[in-house]
Amino acid sequence: MAEISMALRDEFSPHAHIDHDTNTGISNTKLGMWVFLASECLLFGGLITTYLLYKTPVAGEGPSPKQVYDLGFTSVSSFLLLMSSLTMVLAVAAIERGDHHRLRTWLAATALLGSTFVAGQVYEFTAFVHEGMGYTTSRSSSAFYTLTGFHGVHVTVGIIMLVSLLILSLRGKLPEHRAETVEVVGLYWHFVDVVWIVIFGVVYLIP
Amino acid sequence: MPTDLSDHAEAIPTNVLDGAVEEYPREKLYVWVAIFLAAVTWIEVMTYLKPGWFGNVDTRIATLLFLMAIKFFTVAYVFMHLKFDRKMLTVIFYSGLGLAVVVYVAILTMLNVWYPGHPHP
Repeated sequence: MAEISMALRDEFSPHAHIDHDTNTGISNTKLGMWVFLASECLLFGGLITTYLLYKTPVAGEGPSPKQVYDLGFTSVSSFLLLMSSLTMVLAVAAIERGDHHRLRTWLAATALLGSTFVAGQVYEFTAFVHEGMGYTTSRSSSAFYTLTGFHGVHVTVGIIMLVSLLILSLRGKLPEHRAETVEVVGLYWHFVDVVWIVIFGVVYLIP
Repeated sequence: MPTDLSDHAEAIPTNVLDGAVEEYPREKLYVWVAIFLAAVTWIEVMTYLKPGWFGNVDTRIATLLFLMAIKFFTVAYVFMHLKFDRKMLTVIFYSGLGLAVVVYVAILTMLNVWYPGHPHP
């Protein structure tokens, strides 16, 4: 049994990084995802730039986002999203070595952490509206909600993809040779995380 | 049990591989990276809670930008597998990122956002 285990380790561990029969040696799916993520940098760059331009509301336009933040709350939800990147990469490692039980565990954990983040964002938005900062209150509030809302939508799409993977795995339709599918979804998830790293710094922390 | 394990064309029965490999060294790296990222996030939050530790506003902003960059590139390098994958993917991703930074810094400069007294275009 130990010999079989070693053979399986050697032959099947690096599924996600095998050479593909393309000009680049990279699968079209993964290449497409990386090009998509590169283009997403421009989308979020535009939204962050707009926020920086309008972050200070004109006098009389209502509270600025900085005046209504609960930084402790946002720090905790940011930490949860950061840790979801760990659970995601552990899910990829699990399918690469053929451990389907752990794959499901880590996928579920990632989806749960992401859902907690989104729930926290919904709670935060509701609290801000009650404190007088609605979407149309000022240019700064519009820029804030658009930026963080777009990110929230990305997280939600990521959760849908994670749950889809979980269902596929439970139905036995996610064998090891499809490890790259999990990796590609993981790339999207990590990107959502790195974008939040920037948003958390620029919007919430920088004075 | 098939002898030719390199044949990826056929699905591998998952019950054969489930839990077959007890240890996967890369996982330890991932956990250490996550601990490092958590520590950096703690320092970031401290710049807000204990601003006196980090000097004046300019120093705090510089510190935050530096810490943000460390977190960003660490996640991309390790968790997104740029460390292990082909260099072409690194070039593609950072080309998009670099283009975005150049374009939007140019726009912010054009709209005088860096200068005091010009909070709006």
